[in-house]
Amino acid sequence: MATAVPTDFTNQVVFTEETATFSPEVIEEMRSHLTKYPEERKRSALIPLLFVIQRERGYIDNPGVNFLADFLDLEVTDVWETATFYSMFNLRPVGRHHLQICKTLSCKIMGEPEITEHVCNRLGIHPGETTADGKFTVSLVECLGSCGTAPMMQNGFDYYEDLTVEKVDKILDSLK
Amino acid sequence: MSTELIKVTINEQEFEVEKGAKLIEVCREKGFGIPSFCYYGDLALQASCRMCLVRIEKMPKLQTSCTITCTDGMIVTTQSEEIEKAQRAMSEFLLANHPLDCPVCDRGGECELQEMVMDWGDLEERFVERKNAQPEKFLSPIVANDPQRCILCKRCTRVCDEWMGEEAIEAGNRGVNTVIGTYGGWLGCSQCGNCIEVCPTGTLLDGVYRHETRPWEMDQTRTTDVYSSDGMQLSIGSRGGEVHRIVARDRYVNGLNGEFLDVKARFAHGFINSKDRIKTPLIRYKKGGKLIPSTWDEAIHFVGSKLKESGNNVGVVASSRLTNESIFTLKRFATEAVNSNNYAVSDAYDLAPFFDNLSAPLCTHKEIRHAKTILLIGGEPEEEQTFTAKQIRQAVRNGGAKFIVVHDTPIRLAAQASQFIHVNKGSLDAFALAFADQSDATITKKLGAAQTEIDDLLKTIGETEGDFIIMFGGDLSAEAQAVLANVAGSFASDTRRALLHPLPLYNNSVGANDMMAGKKPLEEVLRTSKALLIAGSLPEDKTDLLANKDFVVVQELFETATTEYADVVLPAASFAEVDGTFTNNAGFVQRVRKAIEPIHQSKPDWVIASMIARELGADFGYNFSSTMVFKAIADSVPAYEGLRYPLLKDESKPVQAKYSPVAKRDLSNEFAALRRKVEALPETSEKITETPRVGHKLHRVTTMTGKTDQFHLLAAGNPKPENLLVSPLVQFNLDGTPRLVEMAEAASVNVKDRIDDKETVASKVVLK
Amino acid sequence: MEIKAIGCEPLQLKRVGMKDSHTLKVYQETGGYESLKKAMNMTQDDIINEVKASALRGRGGAGFPTGMKWSFVPRQSPKQKYIVCNADESEPGTFKDRYLLELDPHSLIEGMLIAAFALGSQACYIYYRGEYRYLIDIMDKAIEEARAANLVGKNILGSDFSCEVYTHTGAGAYICGEETALLSSLEGYRGHPRMKPPFPAIEGLYASPTVVNNVETLTSVPQIIEMGGEAWKKLGTEKSGGTKLWSVSGHVKKPGVYELPMGYADMEKFIMEDCGGMRRPDKKLKAVIPGGSSVYIMNAEQIIGKNVTLDYEGLVEAGSMVGSGGFIVMDETVDVVESTKNLTEFYKHESCGWCTPCREGTDWLVKIFNRISIGEGRPEDAQLLLDICDNIEGKSFCPLGDAAAWPIQSAVKRFPEDFKKWLLNKTNDNGYTANV
Ligand SMILES: Cc1cc2nc3c(=O)[nH]c(=O)nc-3n(C[C@H](O)[C@H](O)[C@H](O)COP(=O)(O)O)c2cc1C
Ligand code: SF4
Ligand code: FES
Repeated sequence: MATAVPTDFTNQVVFTEETATFSPEVIEEMRSHLTKYPEERKRSALIPLLFVIQRERGYIDNPGVNFLADFLDLEVTDVWETATFYSMFNLRPVGRHHLQICKTLSCKIMGEPEITEHVCNRLGIHPGETTADGKFTVSLVECLGSCGTAPMMQNGFDYYEDLTVEKVDKILDSLK
Repeated sequence: MSTELIKVTINEQEFEVEKGAKLIEVCREKGFGIPSFCYYGDLALQASCRMCLVRIEKMPKLQTSCTITCTDGMIVTTQSEEIEKAQRAMSEFLLANHPLDCPVCDRGGECELQEMVMDWGDLEERFVERKNAQPEKFLSPIVANDPQRCILCKRCTRVCDEWMGEEAIEAGNRGVNTVIGTYGGWLGCSQCGNCIEVCPTGTLLDGVYRHETRPWEMDQTRTTDVYSSDGMQLSIGSRGGEVHRIVARDRYVNGLNGEFLDVKARFAHGFINSKDRIKTPLIRYKKGGKLIPSTWDEAIHFVGSKLKESGNNVGVVASSRLTNESIFTLKRFATEAVNSNNYAVSDAYDLAPFFDNLSAPLCTHKEIRHAKTILLIGGEPEEEQTFTAKQIRQAVRNGGAKFIVVHDTPIRLAAQASQFIHVNKGSLDAFALAFADQSDATITKKLGAAQTEIDDLLKTIGETEGDFIIMFGGDLSAEAQAVLANVAGSFASDTRRALLHPLPLYNNSVGANDMMAGKKPLEEVLRTSKALLIAGSLPEDKTDLLANKDFVVVQELFETATTEYADVVLPAASFAEVDGTFTNNAGFVQRVRKAIEPIHQSKPDWVIASMIARELGADFGYNFSSTMVFKAIADSVPAYEGLRYPLLKDESKPVQAKYSPVAKRDLSNEFAALRRKVEALPETSEKITETPRVGHKLHRVTTMTGKTDQFHLLAAGNPKPENLLVSPLVQFNLDGTPRLVEMAEAASVNVKDRIDDKETVASKVVLK
Repeated sequence: MEIKAIGCEPLQLKRVGMKDSHTLKVYQETGGYESLKKAMNMTQDDIINEVKASALRGRGGAGFPTGMKWSFVPRQSPKQKYIVCNADESEPGTFKDRYLLELDPHSLIEGMLIAAFALGSQACYIYYRGEYRYLIDIMDKAIEEARAANLVGKNILGSDFSCEVYTHTGAGAYICGEETALLSSLEGYRGHPRMKPPFPAIEGLYASPTVVNNVETLTSVPQIIEMGGEAWKKLGTEKSGGTKLWSVSGHVKKPGVYELPMGYADMEKFIMEDCGGMRRPDKKLKAVIPGGSSVYIMNAEQIIGKNVTLDYEGLVEAGSMVGSGGFIVMDETVDVVESTKNLTEFYKHESCGWCTPCREGTDWLVKIFNRISIGEGRPEDAQLLLDICDNIEGKSFCPLGDAAAWPIQSAVKRFPEDFKKWLLNKTNDNGYTANV
């Protein structure tokens, strides 16, 4: 759960009519999500499809939203209300590697502050920021269900657990 | 709701209430005040404000009375220390992040939050931390938004969705960051402003009225809308002879429309005090000369003498925007003052074929809301009869009504329909024929729809128990209207009522038809008269018929294409300046009340006509009292028999004119004419596939709406400004093109300047 | 990290440690899908009665008797019925479902199919929290395997029972663990809880009868069918049947997922022996949150020497709750004001914003904690915190409000020393003093 949802998303969007386009394979993937739900309940696929948009376009951008609204017969505002509710949707561009460090209790008492400090110092950014080369974004997030192996962080969907400063260094080195 | 009665005990008093009644309503009815924000009678339940907590025996915790339906033997406490503590706590929470600056808030004085806090009187402020701040901004040219005053009752999002079917405004973000808004921050809807109306705090504000005056400084006058034929009830707020605002709030009005208004009714009142109003009578002494200000005495005298010269060749034309009183007087003017049968209404849509063949009762808006099947043929209620459209949406959404649209255009409302019969362009007449005369299957070819579609429709009607409503308007030919109005009655059965609902375009189209019995087609009157008295302006395509007339008198608010042909222009008073009545599309005769004195030297149209009549030697005996005019109407128009102003006093119980249904007539002539028309239609015709843009009719700039600047931006496509924090009017020319110099200035007013940087988690990590 | 059963034969954890435990092959070799076959030869009522007899209580946190929940579903209703598995697992300190889903996905499929058979449903959804992406891939493979073996899909095992199992993902919202919010989310809306009644059993997903159960609840079902409700119940206590998974985290030597019989005695032994005792032997036990962050925090005196049994009744008696079984153990280095602040931030972040007390209350609470943490606490803040919690508790729309209030209420009462430090002396043990 990424923290620091931009609080005033409404003002930030430069509204365009442009609609995103996707390869036939991606469209096929999107269609396959629709098969899970009753036909008149297409909206159910909204969250899974937002993930596809995020994967394909890096974040939930305006053309992506326009595309989804068309695809699911919704208003853009419907897509917006759902997308902004969930903390995993990035409403602004993020780095290639989105490091999400858990800051909830178990991780906190098991050493999250040191990890965060180390990561931030190595990358030279604060949580919520992206490195100038666009490679890393660091976020502090709430419990990711890895408390027994705390402290932990997630990069994209990958879990890194039982973190130590040395381990973090190795991970950062290995990320291209 | 059944009528079975059950017993509930509230605060130790026992009451009999209807089974299934909502507890909050019952308590309020019985005099136990219950505070609430999110609860709103006709909207889906929300139960989020948690203000309406009560204690119910045998239930754990306090319960929200808005979600509880009464059951037999229920024992309820609405006042106790525990409840008061809870309710005070909720107010305290709501105020935590709410600015405490009512004196600068536009809603101050009529804010429900303020009212409640004032009622408690002694709320202590324990919140000492910094409040979350967000800048004020615009959501559209006419919806201003101050997000930090929002208490998230979501009435706005619910009216938008449930009443308007637009879902234009929604909640975004989560938790304490939740904001009400839209994607991109700009509202591209019909701008009905109902969200502003229902907002209990100063979050959504009327951008036309904003910062003009304070609510308590205005006089409120209850009156009837001057735009739509729905006859919506509203309240004009005026101060010192100036109209500042129009609302429908139930604290002032409880008319047939509740708190519903549309964009024109609510915002397009700029014309009333417009600087362009004609100030004095104007006389053009010589054709081709200039209009020169004069006095009333001279103008009336001049008109009198000229009309006398024209003898019996004077035509009279009334606009269907005028009051019944004015239209009726104009007809009397024709028949009694100038001895002429040449009178007409300037409305292109003639309602006579409809009313002359009325075979079923006119249906009211309440009946639409509770109808079981609704058939709409042509028309575009969501743009023209907005309240009717809202009732249809609610009937479908909340009542499960079947809604069938027959149209050559996929209008927006068709999205709500259970069946949409998409006919060929311009072939609605063919549908009317096929529907009225089901024996002839060849018609469907011209229609561009299959016979099975009509069969399905008939099946739906046949299965209906309850009310079946047919609505149509002026896009059908006169014959088609006559035929439809006349067959409607045959759909009635023991378990089904058939009802008719016309869709006229003007606020008093129905009244004009009633007042001007025996009227002639407009064009005929214009062609055959030598001199003309015209109240209101003509449709622009008809004005050139005025060239070469001997003498033309026009009663108008503004100089228009019609006044260009006028020899005399007499300043007329607007609806806000007169007393009278309008008759709406449900046949309700509703009061128009004077909110301000007539502007400049203007006078009510009927007064002007009476003055000229007197100059010509005819006295209508009105003594310049609109009451007397109305009495004369009641005495001579059968449908209005017995009506008097005092009977029309209570707008929550509107009075319907008594139109007696006609028996089934022999319509073979009409059928024959209609068949000829249908036969003349092309065999194949293209279908219109594009859904018309929201507001394409509502936002049109007309003589009246054009006097409110914001309408120019709406009509220019409602462009999104560079900077939402600055009024869009500052950023655009009224034609919608950007204003470059100001825009640069506007852009320099940044969000950053308005709010302090938020404390973020980031500040805690110290970079080495 | 440990994953093991203590004091009982591993049931939930039966396949943990086996190679390829997530495959159909291993699952079937170890008795998998036999319960489904057995159930399909039982009547629907019999299955529900077995579940009732087992005294299985929902493992998602609320502890509602599962058999009873199932019996509320109007099976005659012509509408589709839905089985929804709540795999949203976002309660801080809880991570048991994650390992069940990773290591034994077929047991969930089997549990859901039995539930579907018992309730006449043809569609099951598993709602994962968005972060558990890798688990969805595992589950999708498992479903495909099961489909290939005619265990999912049309005419299961040649019968006329057909049932589909779908995975669905959330996207980061704790509130979507609440069953009605989960359903809103599953329908593609914002994850706001819905009004009850109507309860999901009557009008849930797509306004149809729906049962929402936790992963662990559903994976218990095949065991119950296999060994019989009575026998399963006997593993635990009279009122709390069977075994239960506990997620242990924090300052213990061996954090992990432990399967204990209900009524396991006692809590002190569990922490000090089974979990290896304190991580730093020189630091004493200070506090335990036994049931995920949303329950009352316990201090050491409530545990040491008190013979607290680990079951629904035992923990209530001891002053807390089973909740989701997320054991967070804290030693004396933890400042309870800070830990409570941490959890309050969590609840503020996760409040859906629907209702006033939770939305505004959690924001205010965080602001107060922030103020306290920069040394501007006031003596009256303790009472203020309690008062705000009292104003949230029982007045919010859904239980998240209560969950936000309980940790604070119990912390203020059970750790007065920590609060005194911040509110009176404005300093903590690390020598931080407010710059007054
Ligand atoms: C705020 C909140 C969060 C919840 N989170 C979860 C969760 O993550 N996983 C879960 O299984 N149940 C969760 N629940 C409980 C569910 O509402 C519901 O009781 C449960 O899924 C029912 O399944 P069960 O009867 O099998 O426990 C949560 C409840 C609340 C109020
Ligand atoms: S208590 Fe209210 S605001 Fe909080 S999560 Fe539940 S519904 Fe949302
Ligand atoms: S507290 Fe960090 S994963 Fe749970």
